[in-house]
Parts: sequence; C-alpha cells; structure tokens
Amino acid sequence: MKTPGTTYQMTVRHVVIALASALLLVWTVFPFVWILLTSLKSPTDILSVPPTFTFTPTIDNYAALVVGEQRGQYSSTRPDFPRFFLNSIIVSIGAVALSVAAGIPAAYALARFKFPGRDTLAFVLLSFRFVPFIAFVIPLYILYQRFGLYNTHAGLILAYQLITLPFTVWMLRSFFMEIPLEIQEAAKIDGCSWLGVLGRVILPLSAPGIAVTVILGFMFCWNAFNYPLMLAGRQTFPVTVGAIQFISYEQVLWGQMAAATIVAAVPQLLLSLMVQKYIVRGLTMGAVK
Amino acid sequence: MTNRWRRHWRRGTFLPYLLLAPAVVLLAGMIYPFGLGVYYSLTSYWLQYPNRFRFVWFDNYVDLLEEPLFVRALEFTLGFTVVAVVLQVGLGLAVALFLHARIPGRAAIRALMLMPLMIPPVITALMWKIMMASTNAGILNYALSFLGIGPINWFGSTQGAIVSVLVIDTWGNLPFVALILLGGLQALPTEPYEAARVDGAGPIAMLRYVTLPLLSPFIVLAVTFRAMDSLRIFDVIYATTTGGPNDATTNLQIMAYQYSFQWYQMGKGMAQAIVLLLLVVMVSYLLMRLWNRASESVQ
Repeated sequence: MKTPGTTYQMTVRHVVIALASALLLVWTVFPFVWILLTSLKSPTDILSVPPTFTFTPTIDNYAALVVGEQRGQYSSTRPDFPRFFLNSIIVSIGAVALSVAAGIPAAYALARFKFPGRDTLAFVLLSFRFVPFIAFVIPLYILYQRFGLYNTHAGLILAYQLITLPFTVWMLRSFFMEIPLEIQEAAKIDGCSWLGVLGRVILPLSAPGIAVTVILGFMFCWNAFNYPLMLAGRQTFPVTVGAIQFISYEQVLWGQMAAATIVAAVPQLLLSLMVQKYIVRGLTMGAVK
Repeated sequence: MTNRWRRHWRRGTFLPYLLLAPAVVLLAGMIYPFGLGVYYSLTSYWLQYPNRFRFVWFDNYVDLLEEPLFVRALEFTLGFTVVAVVLQVGLGLAVALFLHARIPGRAAIRALMLMPLMIPPVITALMWKIMMASTNAGILNYALSFLGIGPINWFGSTQGAIVSVLVIDTWGNLPFVALILLGGLQALPTEPYEAARVDGAGPIAMLRYVTLPLLSPFIVLAVTFRAMDSLRIFDVIYATTTGGPNDATTNLQIMAYQYSFQWYQMGKGMAQAIVLLLLVVMVSYLLMRLWNRASESVQ
C-alpha cells in the first residue's frame, strides 16, 4: 500500500523527470529542427519578425546549392557546393586509405612486438591528438606554396594524416590487443609466419574494429576545417570551408547557408548511426571503451 | 658480421621497425615542417617582404611580451578554458547522473545526443549563427523575449560574443562529457553502494562519498580532453566572431592565425603558435599527473 505522501512525492518526481527530459531533448534537437525549417524558407520568411513556424516550404535553397545560382544573382561569387561535397569525399577517403595502409602494420607492431622505443613512439603518436593545428599549418602553407601542393587534393590528404594517422594507429592497436594471444600462438605453432598471423588471425578477427576505425576516421576528416581553410583553394575546399562561403561582406545568404549545413551534417548523422557504440572510444583514441 | 645481421633478420629483431616504417615516414613528414616552423619563429619571415628575411633569435618571443593583444589573448585562452571546462564537465555530470537513473527513453536521448557530437564544429557554429541573429528574426532572441530577456546583440557586443562562443562550444561538446561519464557510471562496482546503504547514507552522501571518488578517473579524463580542446578552440570562433568584437574573443590560435594568414608575418605567427603549444604541453602534463593520482586512489 502506498501512503498519500509517497504518491505525491512520486508525482513530483515524475514531473521533474519529464521536464528535465524535455529540456534535454529541446536543447539537443531543436537547433537541427530550426535549421531544417530555415533551409526550407524563402528569404522573406527567414527575415520575418517574429520568427515563423508556418510558411510555404520551398526547395529553392537546396536547388541553389545544386545549381549554384539563385535567379541569376551572385553568379560570379557563388560557392560551388557540389564540388565542395565531392572534394570532401575524395580527400576523406584518400586520407583514411593512406592512414589505414600505413596504420595496420604499425598498429600490429605496437600491439604484438616488444622492442626498444615502442612506448615512446606510441606516446608521440598520441600527443598529435592535442597539437594546436596552427603550429603545423604555417610551415605547411609555406612548403605547399613552394612545392605545388597548395590547393591540391594530395596536399590535403597528406595534411589530414595529422588527424587520421595517430587516430588510426591507436584505435587499431586497441582492437588488435583485444584478440587473445593464445589464438596467435596456436597459429604460429601451425607454421604461420608473422605475415600469416596478421593476415589469417589479426585482420579477420578485428574486421569489425577496422570498419569502425575507417568510418570514424572518415568522419573526422569530414569535420576538418582549419587545415583546408589554409591549405585549400576554391577548387579544393571541402564542405566545411564551403559552408562559410555563404557569408560575404555584402550579406549572408541565410537560407542557402542553412541548406549547406544540413547537407554537410547529413552524412555524419547517417555514419554515426553505424558506429554509435564506438564514438566515445574513437573520440578518446581508445582510452574509454 | 654478415652472419650477425642474418641472425638478427631471422629472429625478427628488425621486423617491428619494418612494420612501423610507413607510419614513421608519414610522421616524419609532419614533424619536418614543424621543425622548419620552429626555425621560422626565430626569423623575421614576412611573406610579402622576402628580402627582409633575417635570423633574429628570440626577438619574436620578446616582442610578444610587449604586445597588449598577446596578453589579452593569453587571458582569454586560459579564462575561456577554465569556464568552458567547469561548465561542460559540471553540466555533463548532471546529464550523466540523470541518464544513469534509468529514466524512461534513456536509449533514445543517448542516441540523439550523438548528433551534436559528430557534426563538424564549424557547422555547429553556423547553425547557432543562424539562431543567434541579433535582430528580432533570431529564434533565440525571440524565445528569450518570453522570459523578459533581450534582445541580445549576440556577436556584436563583447560579453555577448564571449557568451555565444561558450554556448556554441558547450552545445557541441556537452554530449562528449556526458557520454564519457555515463560510461564511467555504468562501469562502477555495486558493492560500495550496498555498503553505504547499510550505513544509512542518503542520496547526497552517496554521490559525495561513493560516486564522485569512484568516478574521478573518468572526470579527470573528461577534463583533460575538454581542456586540451578548449585551449585550441578555433573553428567556432572563426565562423562566428573571427576574434571580435574588439578582439574580445581572440585566443592564441586566432591571434597566430591573424598574424600569419592576414598579415603574413609568418615568423611572429609561428612564435605565437609555439607559445600555445608549450601551454598545451604544460597543461597536459599537469592533467596527466592528476589522472595518475585519480586512478591510483581508485585502485
């Protein structure tokens, strides 16, 4: 039997929980809802006072992104968004591919061999997670100008190694270390060389971990803003740098910018669904599982 | 001699180094420009005036001490980091404790909280830039008007700009802290709680004397990651205030960016970048010691 007092307390408790949940949900989700609404508004609706929730939706902003032009205006300075999107895909895939190719043997060595300098090397790699980008981008800018890497995909892929290589090595190492040593020893007794151990034991068993690493690495490249801001040009800007091109000295193209942020965010939201359980692990380089 | 090398080869002494070679080459390709940058920081490198290039020893660093903007940028960098970390870890802890209390719809809220976390920070900034329009068309000012606040000139006033950057950074990173701490809470052993219950501890005493001490390694970890990222915050500031108004939101990274990519004084910009790097190294060293102590006390 419940006493009236506890029933009252229970009700208060439920109300507080419901309010807190609602607050958390609004705080998290409302910005996405509002930007989605803004991206479907005409310029007049965007500037309406007070802000309006009821309007005739239009796909003009998205059309302007795809075509790049809105009723013939701003054609000379229009951001070329389809190209930015393609650049993001090319550079992110290239950077992850290079990091995984170099990272698999390195992670294997760090996870399974004992040799002088191992821990130092692992630590140096980790410390790249905390480096201020500006200390690297200034000399890279000077070198890139000199050697023709400025405003090229290859240059960006190389610069992105600062983001993806340490991440890839640490993540793969943490996945490789989860494979029981006994399996590896058994394979060695069966006559497998180190290459056999890597190819027949480590890689197949850690395939899900490699997939997670690839997806998260791709997402970190997609998020990159500061390296391409300095090292890319109009032909090689990714979506992150492309999206701020809607702010010019004369005006801000709010609607198109909202559409651009949606387009830049959607691949991330879809990919993050695939790696939900590993996002915290990825963001902490494997420190928190 | 050749036999010895062959023996080493057969035993696989070189194997790990061979496996590491590609990664180390790439890594060296990153460290080389940095070394070059350290050298530039000792020169008067000015991109537009190549013939003024001279080796000036530590002049760029000494000049910083007399540069009023540097002092303010250093203050803002440190102040912002302290406030952002306290705010985000405090709120993150509250959210983690809330979600840990088996509230209905926890899984859904947890999944939705990943959304701000994984979109590009610069996109986060642009989303809030739209919502923080300082006219009455801005949704945030409109919402606040119901509470009798505003309208606030978000990016145009000194205090407004600082608050804006804080709010935007918090929106993007609160889920990170909350999820780390929620993971920590879910990994805590149950015995200490039972012991405390037998001793008649109330919920506040439980939190103070059981949960927080056990959670401290995770809290330090969250503080470390957030502090390191806050010291270097760039994307959000660049996309919203670009350091303004009146340099109110100029941190060391923005300042180094302005020196090197707006005024092309690469030597000075690089010197500022190295000061920031040293600051990051110092703070990370302190936090690492704190982490060692926190994880030892738990074991």
